[in-house]
This record gives sequence, C-alpha cells and structure tokens, in this order.
Amino acid sequence: MPGAVSGGKTQVLPEEAQRVATVGRWRVVVLNDPVNLMSYVVLVFRKVLGFDESTARRKMLEVHEQGRSVVWTGLREKAEAYAFTLQEWHLSAVVEADEAH
Amino acid sequence: MKRIEVKLAVPVVAPLLDVIRALGETPPVAAPGVIVPPDADPDLRGAWLGELAAAEATEVRALLALFDEVFFREGIVAFDAENAEMILRACSVLRLRLRESYLRAWGDDALESGDVEAGPFEPGGHKAMACFLFLATVQELILQHLGDNILAN
Repeated sequence: MPGAVSGGKTQVLPEEAQRVATVGRWRVVVLNDPVNLMSYVVLVFRKVLGFDESTARRKMLEVHEQGRSVVWTGLREKAEAYAFTLQEWHLSAVVEADEAH
Repeated sequence: MKRIEVKLAVPVVAPLLDVIRALGETPPVAAPGVIVPPDADPDLRGAWLGELAAAEATEVRALLALFDEVFFREGIVAFDAENAEMILRACSVLRLRLRESYLRAWGDDALESGDVEAGPFEPGGHKAMACFLFLATVQELILQHLGDNILAN
C-alpha cells in the first residue's frame, strides 16, 4: 500500500537520507487535466483532504487557472498516502520535496 | 437510503456501452496521470500501480453492472449511496481513457470547455465523444443528488 514507504521491506538508509525522508517536508501537488469536472474536483478535495467548500473551490480554481496547486504539505509518508488517494480518484497528483524547508 | 433512478434511451446508450466495455478490457495499467513518487523503490512502484489498476477494473465493472437486463428492458439505471462513489470514479477514469484513445486531436481547451460540436474526429471518435459526454452527465447527476452522501460516507 503506498504510504508505507519501504513497500514492506526494511531498508537501511544513510543517516542523511533517513533525516530527509522522515523530517523533511514534502508537498502534494494536484495538476490540471482537461477531463475531470470542476465540481468533481471540489468533491474530491473535500472528501480526501477534508477541505471546506470554499477552500476546495479555491484550490480547484488554482489548479484550473494556474495548472497546479499545492494541496498538502508535511512528512513524505503521509504526502505519498494523500497522492495515492487522489490518484485513486483519478486526479493527477504528485509528491515533491518542499525546497523551502 | 437516497436513490435516484434515471430513464435512458436504450438505443442511444447501448452503443456507448460497447465503447466502455472495450476500454474496460484494455490491459489493467494505471490511468493516464498516474505518477509514482520520485525515487520510489520497485516494491512501492509495483504496489502503487497494481493497486490503482485493480481499483480501476473494479470501478468499471461496477459501472457496467448497472446496464443489466432491467436496463435493456426498461431503460432505467439507479444510483444510490452505495454505488455512487464507485460509479463517479469509473466515469472519471473512463473519460481519461477516452481522451487518451480517441480524443487527443481535440486539444485540451475543447475538452475542458465542452465546445465539441464538430471537430477532427479520429475513427470511432463520434461514438467516443458521445460516450465522453454521457459519462460527464452521469457524474453531474451523481454529484448533484448524491454528493452529500459521498462526503458523509
């Protein structure tokens, strides 16, 4: 299940890599697509990310008008879980390192 | 349980089901737009893509199950709180696959705006576009009538 970063295997990572993976911040970014309905995207944001209606609409419009929107920031494992769930809803979601942190 | 029944014209919808079935029978690969995180290990990559593909296959089967003997006899399909989420997602993935398979020539702006009265259809494109619009209508119905149920579940 995505979200379990090691895919069920225990891995020994270099110390710096471990620190980045567990402490560094990651962003979940939703990319625009020309297929999914705006009302559908709003519902998905509310359902998956727990946004209220107004936040969900604002984020949906960001995706629509700017091509992308950061919808969540935090630890990588949770970011991957959110991205996977958004992809289950067939949105284009990616995980990126948050360079600002 | 809230339930909506929709009366459809069987002669219009039946040919669209052939398109949906054909798309549903394509190899179970993840839909367009799926991007596994960078530097994901092979196990995670495999699990990620495999689970998405399996979920998509389940969704498409659920959609096709709506069009059973009752539909072909009475033209009625029913949506409720139990099937709404699955059908909504099935419509989404099928619309993405239609774009990939048949509707690329349209360009994103036309698909996004819905301004599709005429255009550079590929072979099979007219039926694919009708299917694309039909699935959007199903989504709109579900969102309008059962969106709150989906959020509450």
